[in-house]
Amino acid sequence: MSRSITRKSSIAISVAATSALVLAGCASPGGSASSSDDEVTLVIANSQWLDALRGENLWNAVKKFEDSHPGITLEQEAIPSSDIDSKLTTEFGAGEGPDLVIVQEGLFYTLQDAGFLSPVGDAFDGISDLNATNDGGVIDGEAYGLAWQRAVYALIYNTDLIESAGATVPTTVDELIADGQLVADTGATGYTGRTSITDFNGWFMDLQNWVYGFGGGWSDGTELTIDTPENLAAIEAFAQLYDADLIPAGEDMPTQRTRFKEATVGYSIDNSGGTLNIATGGTIPSTSVGAAALPFPEPGAYQQLFVGVSGKSDNADAAQEFLTWLAGSEGQEALREASGPDTLATDVPLADDFVEANPWAETFAELAPNAHSTLIDGYEVETPQIMRVVMEAVERVLAVDADPAEELAAAQQTIDEQFGK
Amino acid sequence: MTTVAHTRARTRAAGTKLPYLFLLLPMLFLGVVVFYPLGREIWISFTDAAISNPNGGDFIGLANYREVLASPQLRQSLGVTVLYTVATVVASLVLGVISALAVDRPFPGRAIARAILLFGWAVPNVAAALIWTWMYNQQSGILNKIVTSLGGTPLGWLTDSNLAIWSVTLTTVWQVTPFVMLTTLAALQGVPPELREAARIDGADPLNVFRTATLPHIRPAIGLSALLATVWTIRRFEIIYLLTGGGPLGTTSTLVIQLRREAFENYDLGAAATFGVVGLVVSLLVTAVYFAFERRTKEGSAS
Repeated sequence: MSRSITRKSSIAISVAATSALVLAGCASPGGSASSSDDEVTLVIANSQWLDALRGENLWNAVKKFEDSHPGITLEQEAIPSSDIDSKLTTEFGAGEGPDLVIVQEGLFYTLQDAGFLSPVGDAFDGISDLNATNDGGVIDGEAYGLAWQRAVYALIYNTDLIESAGATVPTTVDELIADGQLVADTGATGYTGRTSITDFNGWFMDLQNWVYGFGGGWSDGTELTIDTPENLAAIEAFAQLYDADLIPAGEDMPTQRTRFKEATVGYSIDNSGGTLNIATGGTIPSTSVGAAALPFPEPGAYQQLFVGVSGKSDNADAAQEFLTWLAGSEGQEALREASGPDTLATDVPLADDFVEANPWAETFAELAPNAHSTLIDGYEVETPQIMRVVMEAVERVLAVDADPAEELAAAQQTIDEQFGK
Repeated sequence: MTTVAHTRARTRAAGTKLPYLFLLLPMLFLGVVVFYPLGREIWISFTDAAISNPNGGDFIGLANYREVLASPQLRQSLGVTVLYTVATVVASLVLGVISALAVDRPFPGRAIARAILLFGWAVPNVAAALIWTWMYNQQSGILNKIVTSLGGTPLGWLTDSNLAIWSVTLTTVWQVTPFVMLTTLAALQGVPPELREAARIDGADPLNVFRTATLPHIRPAIGLSALLATVWTIRRFEIIYLLTGGGPLGTTSTLVIQLRREAFENYDLGAAATFGVVGLVVSLLVTAVYFAFERRTKEGSAS
């Protein structure tokens, strides 16, 4: 009897557990948004939600949308920047994903190319003051995104440190190396910057500053131009800086930025977002952070984020309403307060008190109009694959002193075979 | 009498079915989380699916295999995988068995020593990678502090193309060794003390006691540890990705690192799945060799 009960119980437990497993497997993974009656929840994906302090400020800025739009609730999907490409492409590929995405332009182009974003031009009807930062969001004559922030690169430096080291603000690579050496002689770090393929995405975007700065580029809009004299000069200059042993090789960028925050770094090339991070909450006061044009003959690069609407969203109308609000004066004012020195979709000026507290910020605003996208013109979607080949060539130049000219020529051949039009 | 016979027959029938019912749950579980994804992976390797449209790929036959098998990336990643796996498994086995023998004997503080030795196994992969990233830091890492204090020059533990694979291996060995130690220690509990005692009385030195009395009893556990460590190492991702990302110069780019690159950088799910299938075949080959070796060992012992 007891054995029978035990057996029956075991079978019942097995069946129940199996049913639970099957039900769990079949259960809905959860939509990106839910709606019932008039209530709509818009899910907005962004890696910045995870940023210390800035993430909270940005979220509070967009939440102001709810004040003028009762019935629409915003919900954040916070994804680490290292995972956002793979997570969003996977989610959208599976027919899911958030209603709105705030992503780097590289991912923005990839999502648009895959048909995951819906046109949003109607959201901007009647808004006439959108600036040039939105141009990249127009693909084949159709607007797919609104500029969220443009973070241009500049040379940044610790004014106190370079003064005490007897260094100046360099305007050439030779001067940067010489001044960096003066700083290093004091026991501090001369220069910080990415040099490792471990941080591939960040490194290739940083390197575009050098390439543009020397008048180069990886395409002329049609043909890929990898081994041009300008690109070669840029790589040789970068290798010259690397060989000067001023950079803490092998350290990731967050660690290097922390060094700058602790006032132990002389120079760096960073974007406005990274500089705001450095100048906030660390040992170095923001007033001791300086910014200048890159020490190259030509302007450098910018990183840009776009806001796009998912083509799979069940709440497309509400998402368009959000974009209309964001592009309007109310949304731009709210975003301005939380965006530090970044350039926005309209020319809403930096607040006076912000500029006073962060004297370096205006330099970034001045550099923004002439900077170039980190994406390769005409090859926006293929940029990471092309840059993988280029960066492996650069890595060989740095790591084993390979000849830059030969490496770029080999990279040109490989890239032409794979991506040539 | 008939009723009793029927009851017995019913009981016997139920007893026969019961194991299958118990197997149903794990088989369903494995079906959902292992066999179905595995089948999908194999199918995708015959398609041109992209990560942005995983279900929309067209069947392209063996095209992915032709491309991947001819690519220098496969040759390099396969070579790195073999080197990394062999070095990790051999070092982990040697250190794990020595550690198990060391903590098998009673001594004051043995429990604490065991707990400390198990630490590496208990630490999550990501945390382990971060700990070792700091230790390997070229400027401020503890390892280079030691090197410079001994009069040497700082080493590029993760940036030197000759050193990076060994740094990654060292971190992995630190994680895997406690597992080998634990399984060996469990096997050591089953070695009859009188066997070792008899060997000692026969005049065997400690090495011979281990070889003749201890090793035959713990060999199955070591073999199983070797198999598991091999399969785990072939598919290990987080530690390598976080320490080096596959660099420098691709010297730490194993099959899974290459798979990740194909899927999420090149968005080529078909090629990524093909790298996955190659990894699967390598793992199955290792497993087949292990079982063949096991069978031969058993047959040798029986005869």
